[in-house]
Amino acid sequence: MTTANPAEAQSAAVRGRARRQREEELLVWPDLVFIEFISAVVFTVLLVGLAVTVDAILLDRANPAVTPNPSKAPWYFLNLQELLLHMHPALAGVVVPTIALIALGAIPYWDTDNEGQGEWLSGPRDWLNVGVGAAVASIGTLMLILFDDGMHAKIYESLTGSKFPISWLVNMREFQKNFPLWPTCTPETLKDGSCALGPLEWAKSIPLGKVLRTDLLGLPALDLNVNIPAVLVEQIIPVTMMVGLPILLSLVAYKRGIAQTKREHMILQFSGFIAVYVTLTIVGTYFRGQGLALGPYTIFAHQ
Amino acid sequence: MAATERPTRRSMGDRLYDAIFSNRVWRSIFRSGYPNTPRNQMLAVATNVFLHLHPTRIHRTHVKITHTFCLGGLSFFLFLGLTISGVLLMFYYVPSVERAYEDILRLDTDVRFGQLMRNMHRWMAHGMVLTVLMHMMRVFYTGAYKPPREFNWVVGVVLLVLTLLLSFTGYLLPWDQLALWAITVGTNMVGSAPLLGEPNRFVLVGGFQVGQNALIRFYTLHVIGLPLMAAVFMTVHFWRIRRDGGLAKPL
Repeated sequence: MTTANPAEAQSAAVRGRARRQREEELLVWPDLVFIEFISAVVFTVLLVGLAVTVDAILLDRANPAVTPNPSKAPWYFLNLQELLLHMHPALAGVVVPTIALIALGAIPYWDTDNEGQGEWLSGPRDWLNVGVGAAVASIGTLMLILFDDGMHAKIYESLTGSKFPISWLVNMREFQKNFPLWPTCTPETLKDGSCALGPLEWAKSIPLGKVLRTDLLGLPALDLNVNIPAVLVEQIIPVTMMVGLPILLSLVAYKRGIAQTKREHMILQFSGFIAVYVTLTIVGTYFRGQGLALGPYTIFAHQ
Repeated sequence: MAATERPTRRSMGDRLYDAIFSNRVWRSIFRSGYPNTPRNQMLAVATNVFLHLHPTRIHRTHVKITHTFCLGGLSFFLFLGLTISGVLLMFYYVPSVERAYEDILRLDTDVRFGQLMRNMHRWMAHGMVLTVLMHMMRVFYTGAYKPPREFNWVVGVVLLVLTLLLSFTGYLLPWDQLALWAITVGTNMVGSAPLLGEPNRFVLVGGFQVGQNALIRFYTLHVIGLPLMAAVFMTVHFWRIRRDGGLAKPL
């Protein structure tokens, strides 16, 4: 067969495409409006059913003098409350959520590629990235929580019957108390041979007020002493984890060929974020009991 | 009279149809006839202030339930339901430390359908947080935030925050132990921010601890301030969806 004039063929193709696009379309009334109406009806019925069968919780009258144990935030903030147990309150309560929201909002300005829109995870490795991101992040979060609860030390103690030998590796609070070990040597202990490793009193060891003389400027004198172990445990280590572990995940995924394009890395990270969010929420909701100790818990224990 | 697809043979049903859908009252309200022809169906969408949020035509794949799971629509549906049940609850509730808890008890025991309304409001509120979060996931995984829809994603993130704040401010209103201490824990998190944390907490709570000032602030934000802001951002959100050509399509 011979081809016709190329321009003519092209315009026919364009016309064909336009026609096909029209054929691909449906009328909003009735096709979409019907679905919207039915789902509104179905969800109204479901919600009425739920509201008839399950009553909204109401505890005793508010009493500022009686603090319930545990006191919990609403469930969608329990992920932050869980974070609060592991790091500095300013970090968990404000800095992390603020950065998370800004990062969420910035997603489209980072991934500006037009490809792969309008379809569920259309790339060849997209689902793999969802799975890897979600699995690594949720298991990793659980392991970090268990570590901070000293689960490894508890297992060791129940198996051997003796105390966990490395005191500063029990959990982060112990780490803060007992690490770094420092030779507590004085001329006397050196002489009698009792010089040994012991925790250094680093707390309040850097009196900033004596360095930054704000009082000379007429401002209030700084009474700021940096507690280095606390800064290390409550800020530097958590930040390193929260920044470093996602980067490590992306690096490994890149090296293994799991995540290659920007969109794939974003799917990996976003799935990881959602998994961390969900894991922290579940742990904070169902596994933080009295004194926010790790253990099964239900809100109905209040009643 | 506007051109309509008037049937050629006039049976009893046709005359009834004309009487209902071609009379002056119907025309004054809907302008087009009953939407049983493609033309009237498109006019029904285009000439109705509520339906014109939609285009008149839509891509075949976009009406598949599994494409969106109706999550954005459900969030809006829950917002409307929350507004209706919330207005009803407002009839019986006074945001005062002395009365609030008793009002809720009375609502549950003395008011006909009061408990049902409160239950509906509570479950829809939880549901809306969930649907908004899942809607965000749907938009991300379908790549629907990509150009030209970047800014609408940002508007969506703002709406997510507003949803959480709406739920959070409502949490205090029953004035029970759960409410008081959840808000105490929550606002203490705000207070822990460097520099501006404590002043912000003070403004939010209206004092050093959660009491009458916090209750009236949360109530006002919950019933008027935040819903208005949410409505404004939703308007922008929906308008932009429409302007950007509806849901994202594969290239």
